[in-house]
Amino acid sequence: MKLLAGALLFVALAPASLASPPQLPEGKWWKRPRLAAEINLTDDQAREIESIFSRTRPELIDRKAELEKRQGELQDALDANADRRTISTKVEAVENARAGLQKARILMVLDMKQVLKPDQWDRLVRMREQLRERRIDRLERFRERRMDRRP
Amino acid sequence: MRERATTAADHLTDEELFALAVPPAGVPEALPRHLSECLRCSRALADWKGAVRDLGDEGEEALASRSAQEWRAVEDATLTAVGRQGSPGRGRRRRLSWALPAAAALLLGALLLTGRNSSARIESGSDDTASFSAQDRADDALLRDVDRLASGDETPGGWGALAPDPSAVDSAAAPEGRS
Repeated sequence: MKLLAGALLFVALAPASLASPPQLPEGKWWKRPRLAAEINLTDDQAREIESIFSRTRPELIDRKAELEKRQGELQDALDANADRRTISTKVEAVENARAGLQKARILMVLDMKQVLKPDQWDRLVRMREQLRERRIDRLERFRERRMDRRP
Repeated sequence: MRERATTAADHLTDEELFALAVPPAGVPEALPRHLSECLRCSRALADWKGAVRDLGDEGEEALASRSAQEWRAVEDATLTAVGRQGSPGRGRRRRLSWALPAAAALLLGALLLTGRNSSARIESGSDDTASFSAQDRADDALLRDVDRLASGDETPGGWGALAPDPSAVDSAAAPEGRS
Protein backbone atom coordinates (compact mmCIF):
# COMPACT_ATOMS: atom_id res chain seq x y z
CA MET A 1 0.00 0.00 0.00
CA LYS A 2 2.81 2.34 0.94
CA LEU A 3 4.46 1.49 -2.32
CA LEU A 4 1.31 2.32 -4.22
CA ALA A 5 0.89 5.59 -2.34
CA GLY A 6 4.51 6.45 -3.08
CA ALA A 7 4.04 5.68 -6.73
CA LEU A 8 0.90 7.82 -6.89
CA LEU A 9 2.71 10.65 -5.14
CA PHE A 10 5.55 10.40 -7.62
CA VAL A 11 3.15 10.51 -10.54
CA ALA A 12 1.34 13.46 -8.99
CA LEU A 13 4.56 15.36 -8.46
CA ALA A 14 6.25 14.36 -11.68
CA PRO A 15 4.98 17.27 -13.78
CA ALA A 16 6.29 19.74 -11.21
CA SER A 17 9.66 18.05 -11.05
CA LEU A 18 9.91 18.11 -14.82
CA ALA A 19 9.07 21.80 -14.98
CA SER A 20 11.85 24.25 -15.65
CA PRO A 21 13.78 25.33 -12.56
CA PRO A 22 12.87 28.62 -10.88
CA GLN A 23 14.38 31.57 -12.67
CA LEU A 24 15.35 34.67 -10.76
CA PRO A 25 16.96 37.87 -11.97
CA GLU A 26 20.58 37.18 -12.79
CA GLY A 27 23.49 37.66 -10.47
CA LYS A 28 23.33 39.08 -6.97
CA TRP A 29 19.84 40.46 -7.38
CA TRP A 30 19.29 41.07 -3.67
CA LYS A 31 22.11 43.62 -3.73
CA ARG A 32 20.53 45.66 -6.52
CA PRO A 33 18.80 48.70 -5.06
CA ARG A 34 16.00 48.94 -7.60
CA LEU A 35 15.19 45.25 -7.48
CA ALA A 36 15.29 45.21 -3.70
CA ALA A 37 12.98 48.23 -3.58
CA GLU A 38 10.59 46.70 -6.10
CA ILE A 39 9.93 43.70 -3.90
CA ASN A 40 10.26 45.57 -0.59
CA LEU A 41 13.16 43.44 0.48
CA THR A 42 14.04 44.18 4.10
CA ASP A 43 17.58 44.43 5.41
CA ASP A 44 17.04 41.27 7.44
CA GLN A 45 15.86 39.37 4.41
CA ALA A 46 18.82 40.62 2.36
CA ARG A 47 21.19 39.51 5.11
CA GLU A 48 19.58 36.09 5.28
CA ILE A 49 19.71 35.65 1.52
CA GLU A 50 23.33 36.73 1.52
CA SER A 51 23.97 34.15 4.21
CA ILE A 52 22.33 31.41 2.13
CA PHE A 53 24.44 32.37 -0.84
CA SER A 54 27.62 32.49 1.27
CA ARG A 55 26.90 28.99 2.55
CA THR A 56 26.32 27.70 -0.97
CA ARG A 57 29.16 29.59 -2.65
CA PRO A 58 31.89 26.99 -1.99
CA GLU A 59 29.72 24.25 -3.48
CA LEU A 60 28.87 26.38 -6.50
CA ILE A 61 32.55 27.12 -7.06
CA ASP A 62 33.50 23.47 -6.73
CA ARG A 63 30.71 22.21 -8.97
CA LYS A 64 31.35 24.87 -11.57
CA ALA A 65 35.03 23.91 -11.59
CA GLU A 66 34.07 20.25 -11.87
CA LEU A 67 31.81 20.96 -14.84
CA GLU A 68 34.47 23.02 -16.59
CA LYS A 69 37.02 20.30 -15.94
CA ARG A 70 34.74 17.66 -17.46
CA GLN A 71 34.01 19.93 -20.41
CA GLY A 72 37.75 20.29 -20.93
CA GLU A 73 38.20 16.54 -20.87
CA LEU A 74 35.42 16.11 -23.41
CA GLN A 75 36.99 18.77 -25.58
CA ASP A 76 40.34 16.97 -25.40
CA ALA A 77 38.70 13.67 -26.33
CA LEU A 78 36.96 15.28 -29.30
CA ASP A 79 40.15 16.95 -30.42
CA ALA A 80 41.95 13.62 -30.19
CA ASN A 81 39.23 11.91 -32.23
CA ALA A 82 38.61 9.48 -29.40
CA ASP A 83 36.37 6.49 -29.99
CA ARG A 84 32.60 6.61 -29.58
CA ARG A 85 32.58 4.88 -26.20
CA THR A 86 35.12 7.28 -24.73
CA ILE A 87 33.19 10.28 -26.00
CA SER A 88 29.98 8.81 -24.61
CA THR A 89 31.58 8.45 -21.17
CA LYS A 90 32.92 11.99 -21.28
CA VAL A 91 29.53 13.37 -22.31
CA GLU A 92 27.92 11.57 -19.39
CA ALA A 93 30.51 13.02 -17.04
CA VAL A 94 29.79 16.51 -18.36
CA GLU A 95 26.05 16.11 -17.93
CA ASN A 96 26.40 14.59 -14.46
CA ALA A 97 28.55 17.53 -13.42
CA ARG A 98 26.00 19.88 -14.90
CA ALA A 99 23.21 18.15 -12.99
CA GLY A 100 25.18 18.56 -9.78
CA LEU A 101 25.61 22.25 -10.41
CA GLN A 102 21.95 22.67 -11.27
CA LYS A 103 20.92 20.83 -8.12
CA ALA A 104 23.07 23.05 -5.92
CA ARG A 105 21.68 26.13 -7.64
CA ILE A 106 18.05 25.06 -7.34
CA LEU A 107 18.38 24.16 -3.68
CA MET A 108 19.96 27.55 -3.03
CA VAL A 109 17.11 29.30 -4.84
CA LEU A 110 14.55 27.28 -2.86
CA ASP A 111 16.22 28.29 0.40
CA MET A 112 16.07 31.90 -0.73
CA LYS A 113 12.42 31.48 -1.60
CA GLN A 114 11.70 30.49 2.01
CA VAL A 115 13.04 33.85 3.15
CA LEU A 116 10.65 35.80 0.94
CA LYS A 117 6.94 36.31 1.36
CA PRO A 118 4.85 34.76 -1.42
CA ASP A 119 4.05 38.12 -2.99
CA GLN A 120 7.73 39.09 -2.93
CA TRP A 121 8.62 35.86 -4.65
CA ASP A 122 5.89 36.32 -7.24
CA ARG A 123 7.06 39.83 -8.00
CA LEU A 124 10.66 38.70 -8.27
CA VAL A 125 9.78 35.92 -10.71
CA ARG A 126 7.60 38.34 -12.66
CA MET A 127 10.44 40.85 -12.84
CA ARG A 128 12.72 38.19 -14.19
CA GLU A 129 10.17 37.41 -16.85
CA GLN A 130 9.76 41.08 -17.73
CA LEU A 131 13.51 41.50 -18.04
CA ARG A 132 13.64 38.43 -20.26
CA GLU A 133 10.87 39.77 -22.45
CA ARG A 134 12.61 43.13 -22.75
CA ARG A 135 15.77 41.39 -23.80
CA ILE A 136 13.89 39.38 -26.41
CA ASP A 137 12.22 42.57 -27.66
CA ARG A 138 15.60 44.25 -27.98
CA LEU A 139 17.10 41.33 -29.84
CA GLU A 140 14.04 41.01 -32.03
CA ARG A 141 14.21 44.69 -32.92
CA PHE A 142 17.90 44.35 -33.58
CA ARG A 143 17.23 41.33 -35.78
CA GLU A 144 14.50 43.08 -37.77
CA ARG A 145 16.61 46.14 -38.34
CA ARG A 146 19.51 44.05 -39.51
CA MET A 147 17.25 42.17 -41.89
CA ASP A 148 15.97 45.52 -43.20
CA ARG A 149 19.51 46.48 -44.05
CA ARG A 150 20.08 43.47 -46.24
CA PRO A 151 21.43 44.55 -49.59
CA MET B 1 30.78 16.66 -38.48
CA ARG B 2 32.30 16.34 -41.89
CA GLU B 3 33.30 19.53 -43.61
CA ARG B 4 34.20 17.69 -46.78
CA ALA B 5 30.77 16.05 -47.00
CA THR B 6 29.09 19.37 -47.72
CA THR B 7 29.34 21.63 -50.69
CA ALA B 8 29.79 25.36 -50.67
CA ALA B 9 26.23 25.74 -51.96
CA ASP B 10 24.94 24.16 -48.76
CA HIS B 11 26.53 26.70 -46.45
CA LEU B 12 24.14 28.86 -44.48
CA THR B 13 23.79 32.48 -45.47
CA ASP B 14 24.37 35.36 -43.09
CA GLU B 15 20.63 35.84 -42.82
CA GLU B 16 20.02 32.20 -42.00
CA LEU B 17 22.74 32.23 -39.36
CA PHE B 18 21.43 35.44 -37.90
CA ALA B 19 17.88 34.07 -37.79
CA LEU B 20 19.17 31.06 -35.88
CA ALA B 21 21.18 33.21 -33.48
CA VAL B 22 18.29 35.62 -32.88
CA PRO B 23 15.15 33.58 -33.46
CA PRO B 24 11.89 35.50 -33.91
CA ALA B 25 10.13 36.07 -30.59
CA GLY B 26 12.96 34.30 -28.86
CA VAL B 27 11.64 30.90 -29.85
CA PRO B 28 14.48 28.68 -31.00
CA GLU B 29 14.18 27.56 -34.58
CA ALA B 30 14.85 24.03 -35.71
CA LEU B 31 18.49 23.65 -36.63
CA PRO B 32 19.14 22.79 -40.26
CA ARG B 33 20.65 19.37 -40.77
CA HIS B 34 23.56 21.06 -42.51
CA LEU B 35 24.71 22.46 -39.17
CA SER B 36 25.41 19.01 -37.81
CA GLU B 37 27.60 18.25 -40.78
CA CYS B 38 29.45 21.49 -41.38
CA LEU B 39 32.15 22.66 -39.02
CA ARG B 40 32.37 26.09 -40.56
CA CYS B 41 28.69 26.90 -40.27
CA SER B 42 28.44 25.55 -36.73
CA ARG B 43 31.35 27.74 -35.70
CA ALA B 44 29.87 30.71 -37.53
CA LEU B 45 26.62 30.20 -35.64
CA ALA B 46 28.54 30.04 -32.36
CA ASP B 47 30.21 33.34 -33.31
CA TRP B 48 26.85 34.92 -34.01
CA LYS B 49 25.41 33.70 -30.74
CA GLY B 50 28.40 35.07 -28.86
CA ALA B 51 27.95 38.47 -30.49
CA VAL B 52 24.23 38.45 -29.74
CA ARG B 53 24.90 37.51 -26.14
CA ASP B 54 27.16 40.53 -25.82
CA LEU B 55 24.29 42.61 -27.11
CA GLY B 56 21.67 41.37 -24.74
CA ASP B 57 23.40 40.16 -21.64
CA GLU B 58 25.16 43.08 -20.03
CA GLY B 59 23.51 44.60 -16.98
CA GLU B 60 19.92 43.88 -17.85
CA GLU B 61 18.42 46.12 -15.24
CA ALA B 62 20.58 49.07 -16.15
CA LEU B 63 20.08 48.59 -19.84
CA ALA B 64 16.36 48.33 -19.42
CA SER B 65 16.35 51.97 -18.37
CA ARG B 66 17.78 53.22 -21.69
CA SER B 67 15.50 55.33 -23.78
CA ALA B 68 14.40 54.19 -27.23
CA GLN B 69 16.67 56.81 -28.79
CA GLU B 70 19.66 55.58 -26.82
CA TRP B 71 18.99 52.04 -27.86
CA ARG B 72 18.59 53.05 -31.48
CA ALA B 73 21.94 54.84 -31.38
CA VAL B 74 23.62 51.80 -29.87
CA GLU B 75 22.02 49.45 -32.38
CA ASP B 76 23.02 51.72 -35.25
CA ALA B 77 26.61 51.71 -34.07
CA THR B 78 26.63 47.93 -33.75
CA LEU B 79 24.95 47.32 -37.08
CA THR B 80 27.35 49.68 -38.78
CA ALA B 81 30.34 47.98 -37.21
CA VAL B 82 29.11 44.51 -38.10
CA GLY B 83 28.03 45.54 -41.58
CA ARG B 84 31.34 47.23 -42.32
CA GLN B 85 33.25 44.07 -41.54
CA GLY B 86 30.93 41.47 -43.03
CA SER B 87 29.31 38.79 -40.95
CA PRO B 88 30.36 35.47 -39.48
CA GLY B 89 29.08 33.17 -42.17
CA ARG B 90 30.30 32.48 -45.63
CA GLY B 91 34.00 32.05 -45.07
CA ARG B 92 34.50 35.39 -43.40
CA ARG B 93 35.32 33.96 -40.07
CA ARG B 94 38.90 35.09 -40.07
CA ARG B 95 37.93 38.73 -40.46
CA LEU B 96 35.03 38.42 -38.04
CA SER B 97 37.25 37.00 -35.35
CA TRP B 98 38.06 40.58 -34.48
CA ALA B 99 35.15 42.41 -36.06
CA LEU B 100 32.49 41.04 -33.72
CA PRO B 101 34.43 41.74 -30.54
CA ALA B 102 35.06 45.20 -31.96
CA ALA B 103 31.34 45.65 -32.54
CA ALA B 104 30.62 44.41 -29.03
CA ALA B 105 33.22 46.80 -27.61
CA LEU B 106 31.69 49.63 -29.58
CA LEU B 107 28.30 48.68 -28.26
CA LEU B 108 29.45 48.61 -24.66
CA GLY B 109 31.30 51.89 -25.16
CA ALA B 110 28.11 53.45 -26.46
CA LEU B 111 26.22 52.07 -23.50
CA LEU B 112 28.71 53.53 -21.09
CA LEU B 113 28.50 56.85 -22.88
CA THR B 114 24.72 56.96 -22.78
CA GLY B 115 24.91 55.77 -19.19
CA ARG B 116 27.13 58.72 -18.36
CA ASN B 117 24.77 61.10 -20.10
CA SER B 118 21.85 59.81 -18.12
CA SER B 119 23.66 59.23 -14.86
CA ALA B 120 21.15 61.34 -12.98
CA ARG B 121 18.39 58.97 -13.99
CA ILE B 122 20.41 55.93 -13.08
CA GLU B 123 21.29 57.30 -9.67
CA SER B 124 17.75 58.34 -8.96
CA GLY B 125 15.89 55.20 -9.79
CA SER B 126 17.58 52.78 -12.11
CA ASP B 127 19.58 49.79 -11.01
CA ASP B 128 23.27 49.16 -11.41
CA THR B 129 26.15 47.54 -9.69
CA ALA B 130 27.95 50.75 -8.77
CA SER B 131 27.58 50.01 -5.09
CA PHE B 132 28.95 46.49 -5.44
CA SER B 133 32.14 45.62 -3.61
CA ALA B 134 34.84 43.61 -5.36
CA GLN B 135 33.49 40.51 -3.65
CA ASP B 136 29.95 41.32 -4.77
CA ARG B 137 31.14 41.65 -8.35
CA ALA B 138 32.93 38.31 -8.15
CA ASP B 139 29.82 36.72 -6.64
CA ASP B 140 27.64 38.32 -9.30
CA ALA B 141 29.84 36.87 -12.04
CA LEU B 142 29.82 33.47 -10.34
CA LEU B 143 26.02 33.40 -10.18
CA ARG B 144 25.69 34.40 -13.82
CA ASP B 145 28.18 31.71 -14.82
CA VAL B 146 26.33 29.14 -12.76
CA ASP B 147 23.00 30.09 -14.35
CA ARG B 148 24.47 29.79 -17.82
CA LEU B 149 26.39 26.58 -17.21
CA ALA B 150 23.62 24.85 -15.31
CA SER B 151 21.14 25.58 -18.07
CA GLY B 152 23.52 24.30 -20.71
CA ASP B 153 23.50 27.63 -22.51
CA GLU B 154 27.23 28.12 -22.87
CA THR B 155 27.71 29.81 -26.18
CA PRO B 156 30.36 30.35 -27.39
CA GLY B 157 31.81 27.51 -25.36
CA GLY B 158 29.00 25.06 -26.06
CA TRP B 159 28.63 22.24 -28.48
CA GLY B 160 29.21 24.47 -31.48
CA ALA B 161 32.62 25.33 -30.09
CA LEU B 162 33.48 21.73 -29.26
CA ALA B 163 34.22 21.06 -32.89
CA PRO B 164 37.79 21.55 -34.06
CA ASP B 165 38.60 25.00 -35.38
CA PRO B 166 37.77 24.98 -39.08
CA SER B 167 39.92 28.01 -39.85
CA ALA B 168 42.47 25.79 -41.53
CA VAL B 169 39.76 24.58 -43.89
CA ASP B 170 38.57 28.15 -44.37
CA SER B 171 41.99 29.44 -45.27
CA ALA B 172 42.59 26.59 -47.67
CA ALA B 173 39.39 26.65 -49.68
CA ALA B 174 36.84 29.01 -48.29
CA PRO B 175 34.51 30.45 -50.86
CA GLU B 176 33.72 34.11 -50.29
CA GLY B 177 29.99 33.74 -50.14
CA ARG B 178 27.37 31.23 -51.06
CA SER B 179 28.37 29.98 -54.40
